[in-house]
Amino acid sequence: MGKGNDLISLEDVSKRYPNGTYALRDIDLHIEAGEFVFAVGSSGAGKSTLNRLLIREELSTNGRVVVDGQDVGRMTPGKVPHLRRKVGIVFQDFKLLQTKTVYENVAFALVVTGHGHRVIREETERALALVGLTPRRRHFPRELSGGEQQRTAIARALVMRPKILVADEPTGNLDPVTTWEIIKLLVRVNEMGTTVLIATHNAEIVNALRRRVIHLDHGRIIRDEREGLYAA
Amino acid sequence: MTRLTYILGAAWQGFWRNPVMSMASTFTVALMLLLFAFFLIADRGLQSAVSLLESKVELVGYLSDDAAVSEILDLKARIERDPAVSSVTYVSKDDALARLRELSEQRADLGPVEDIGVNPLPASLEVKLRSAQESRRVAEEMRAEVGSGVVTDVVDNPQVVDKLLTITRVLSFGGFAVLGMMLLVALFVIVNTIRIAVHARRDEIEIMKLVGATNWFVRWPFILEGMLVGAFGAAVALAALMAASGPVTNALIGFLDILPVSLGPNFIGQLAAGVLGFALLVGAGGATISVRTHLAK
Ligand SMILES: Nc1ncnc2c1ncn2[C@@H]1O[C@H](COP(=O)(O)OP(=O)(O)OP(=O)(O)O)[C@@H](O)[C@H]1O
Ligand SMILES: [Mg+2]
Repeated sequence: MGKGNDLISLEDVSKRYPNGTYALRDIDLHIEAGEFVFAVGSSGAGKSTLNRLLIREELSTNGRVVVDGQDVGRMTPGKVPHLRRKVGIVFQDFKLLQTKTVYENVAFALVVTGHGHRVIREETERALALVGLTPRRRHFPRELSGGEQQRTAIARALVMRPKILVADEPTGNLDPVTTWEIIKLLVRVNEMGTTVLIATHNAEIVNALRRRVIHLDHGRIIRDEREGLYAA
Repeated sequence: MTRLTYILGAAWQGFWRNPVMSMASTFTVALMLLLFAFFLIADRGLQSAVSLLESKVELVGYLSDDAAVSEILDLKARIERDPAVSSVTYVSKDDALARLRELSEQRADLGPVEDIGVNPLPASLEVKLRSAQESRRVAEEMRAEVGSGVVTDVVDNPQVVDKLLTITRVLSFGGFAVLGMMLLVALFVIVNTIRIAVHARRDEIEIMKLVGATNWFVRWPFILEGMLVGAFGAAVALAALMAASGPVTNALIGFLDILPVSLGPNFIGQLAAGVLGFALLVGAGGATISVRTHLAK
């Protein structure tokens, strides 16, 4: 948690939504490259908001958010796309396009960031193989199970080879077997060098993995442990 | 390459996703373009007519029989110095009589010119003008000379040109007003078409932005879709013009007979290019307005 080589650092960050809700308060958080971090806390604690600040989907009200050396709040609008290519996010609601197949959904990230045919094909196949969805490539999201949709969303985040992978509640509503498959996948991604931040309610996986745990409560960090458990 | 394929594909799909709306805006644009083309044609026709008449416009200053040659040459030189004047011709008394004889030989109804011993016709200076707008001023200046012993009378005949210029002015003013209104209508329709297209693709746009697409990548398909509406509108308008050009030319032939106006050899090409260029500009402009307001943030 040293300062020099932080990949992500939040200093004294607060987030107040326009309706007056304080989703985050006085957050100090430093994450180094290669870490695997759980953000836990009850519903409404501010986990998704924290994720949104990292890709400038929302701006912090106070404080400084720095990702890979860049001040997220101060960057010009033109730099935002480059930030978002570095931070792959798996959204809590997946955000898959219903009219596109699994392959097209994953390839979409590469297509709209202006990559060439060959890169798109090769990287999409790689990402699909990584999440084990190659046999489902031609299916539409509505034809997939919850876990398969989740893995499609993960593949889309990974296809850009981001430095940071942020997964918001990646095991919500999944059965224990599928949950473990997803978690094993995220651990593998981390082992391949990607920094992983997972927001979750799932006490079982947090307790089993014994990784760094950041505990949010009403927008504040009330606990930050190296090999933490879900509850103190 | 992939970018281009994506952007073009998205624009094309966008156009056909809501065909009724796209057709409606295409025809609105076509209507505006027809009006635009009509004004271009009318403007060009009137311009040719005016310049044709201008080349014939003459002021004639009749000269006193008592005027000395040096005075006449002096006056001629002074008139020639006026930048609005293209040439001044001296017509002597003998020249005038010769012309009259020639005319009477061509026109039997006038009867022969009898030799009456003296020549009653005055000498004159015939002034050709570069621009019809100046004829009044030059005529006034020449009239000021009347009474000084050289010029006895000044005759000008610019009424036809004056009228034509008035028509041109009224037409261009009215034309601009009508065209301006049509332009607003066309823009309004395009802005709405693109707004609906943006709305239909809002999920896709959200994800594009979140995975790091640049704003231009998000915007270009819509701007191209607007240009597509413009291009289709131009095609419809030009096709309608082509279809109408035969009958309309026939109907105008009487008018054109009186005023042998040529629109110029390249006019059709210029007109098509002008209409298409204007259409693309309006399409892209409308789409940009829409995209800027609906994709803000
Ligand atoms: N767009 C928004 N506008 C206003 N308030 C919001 C908005 N998004 C979230 N909030 C509020 O901010 C607080 C934190 O929300 P957030 O979504 O970050 O929580 P969370 O920890 O992700 O919850 P969950 O575990 O249920 O996903 C909540 O009180 C929520 O109501
Ligand atoms: Mg959340």
